[in-house]
Amino acid sequence: MAYIHFEKINKIFGTNHVLKDIDLDVEKGQLVTLLGPSGCGKSTLLRCLAGLEQVTDGHIYLDGQEITDVVPRRRGIGMVFQQYSLFPNMNVRDNVAYGLKLKKLPKAEINQKVEQMLDIVGLSEKISQYPAQLSGGQQQRVALARAMVTAPKVLLLDEPLSAIDALLRKNLQIEIRRIQQQLGITTIFVTHDQDEAMVMSDMIHLFHEGKIEQSGTPEQIYTRPATKFAATFIGNYNLPTAADFNRAFHTDIPGQDVAVRPEIVTLTKQAPKAEDGLLVAEGTITSHISHGNLIRFAVEFEGGLTLNADVVYENKLDFGEGDRVFAAMKKDLVIGL
Amino acid sequence: MRKGSKVSSNIIMTLVTVWLLIPLLATIIYSLFEDWTGIIPHGFTLANYQKIFTDTAFLTSMYQTLLVCVIPIVITILVVLLGLFVVTVYFPKLEKYMQILCMIPYTIQGVILSVSILILYAKGDTVLSGRMTMLIGAYCIIILPHIYNGIRNGMRAINMNMLLEAAEMLGESKLKAFFKVIVPNILTGITVSSLLAVGLLFGDYVIIRNLSSSNVNNMQKFLYQAMKRSSAEASAVFVVIMLITFAITAIVLTLQSRSTLEKIRNGGK
Repeated sequence: MAYIHFEKINKIFGTNHVLKDIDLDVEKGQLVTLLGPSGCGKSTLLRCLAGLEQVTDGHIYLDGQEITDVVPRRRGIGMVFQQYSLFPNMNVRDNVAYGLKLKKLPKAEINQKVEQMLDIVGLSEKISQYPAQLSGGQQQRVALARAMVTAPKVLLLDEPLSAIDALLRKNLQIEIRRIQQQLGITTIFVTHDQDEAMVMSDMIHLFHEGKIEQSGTPEQIYTRPATKFAATFIGNYNLPTAADFNRAFHTDIPGQDVAVRPEIVTLTKQAPKAEDGLLVAEGTITSHISHGNLIRFAVEFEGGLTLNADVVYENKLDFGEGDRVFAAMKKDLVIGL
Repeated sequence: MRKGSKVSSNIIMTLVTVWLLIPLLATIIYSLFEDWTGIIPHGFTLANYQKIFTDTAFLTSMYQTLLVCVIPIVITILVVLLGLFVVTVYFPKLEKYMQILCMIPYTIQGVILSVSILILYAKGDTVLSGRMTMLIGAYCIIILPHIYNGIRNGMRAINMNMLLEAAEMLGESKLKAFFKVIVPNILTGITVSSLLAVGLLFGDYVIIRNLSSSNVNNMQKFLYQAMKRSSAEASAVFVVIMLITFAITAIVLTLQSRSTLEKIRNGGK
């Protein structure tokens, strides 16, 4: 049995069936992300594991023991919440020491562990400050230290970075990943941000309407979305119907729809040399949008098909609106859904 | 703000302050002089104060006032805290009913309340029909809305459920977490509403007159009797009541600001 094992988990709030027969395994030491839009059930599953919600049906196992009906404080799980959940009346030291004091450890040991953990999250000099004196990012790092200092079996992170500004969020993503690997702590991370999931995870489980839509490594999820929803949620896939695509590119991709990543489409003014497995069609540029490092061109093909193509921006625009271009892509990178 | 309007607003503020303070000052002066029939009072004396402070009835009334103030406040705070804990954590749907229940005493007049309590309980011979029990019970009802509002507003200012969940994940039980994490954070609300309650109960005459037997006397009752004897003595009693109220307020506020100051100092920023 895996280190964490969810078995046929169902959760119903009133008439709302939030989790539907979820089976999920997490291996020890991994950082696993539950990814999905809001309301998809990812946070509810996390709260069921924490014991803050009761499952309607199903079983949860942790380290070989069933914990489905165990109260939260006896599960040995640490958690960091979306909003800043530090105790406002206690300073950083007392916040971090809270869980250790409940374990009735000797004072010297508590102090040593608190200082060590604050060192790891880089906040040693803030030890006597109060939460109100810290920035959002610092507060979340204290919350992380507070959750990890008791050496829980599992660390749960419920969108801990969603209230933090973009630049700091990127730094904290890397920081959390570093600390998680340094301590080897099994971690489940909940987010609706696909980039965050890509950066941090060993494994991603994509949630949709209470079910797991797709599971895999970040690379697998990104390059091989299994369903239309997965392709919509991840990356910036073009999702034309297969009929339109096949007509424009004179090919035979199976399925209802076709998923094409904009970065696999190359644009040239001259027709590229014909090769096996290279799909080529001529079209007209209808618009372009700058994303800083990338320019996203929209190209319209015969029959009304429009595809986005990403071109790395060097120092000038190679094409303008109204230009005729050849779009080419490798057939094996085109996914039929 | 324009300079002219600032001056005029200062004038208005000063006038209002003077208007409010005149009766107070007049009472103090009146209690300190033998005669104040002309414009200038004359014959400075502390006799009125000496008289009331050597009167055991006054000292007893002071002690009993404090007693019948503190006990209901402590009881009501505990009941409201526990009630709000249970309702917020386990039965959030009942919160609006609790609010309605706690607001009802706002609409009840002291006379009606005390007479109703007498009719309902006085004839029985249980512990509820004891005069002191009835009085403390009635005081709990009177201050309930104020205490409830103070505590509830304090709880609204913090994310109580999340703090409780955070403490629970660290290994604490919900009830202990409530007293260790939530209560310290709503202490300001509790303090302010307690002060309001002290003010209300110190000023009560109607309820204590109707409900208490002759051996329970609060300072308002003593004041009423002093008024019959001499108005200068009554003024002295009034001044003492006021000073005690000020002292209680000052002590509570100092304690509170000291703990706040300590936090900031330890914060070291």
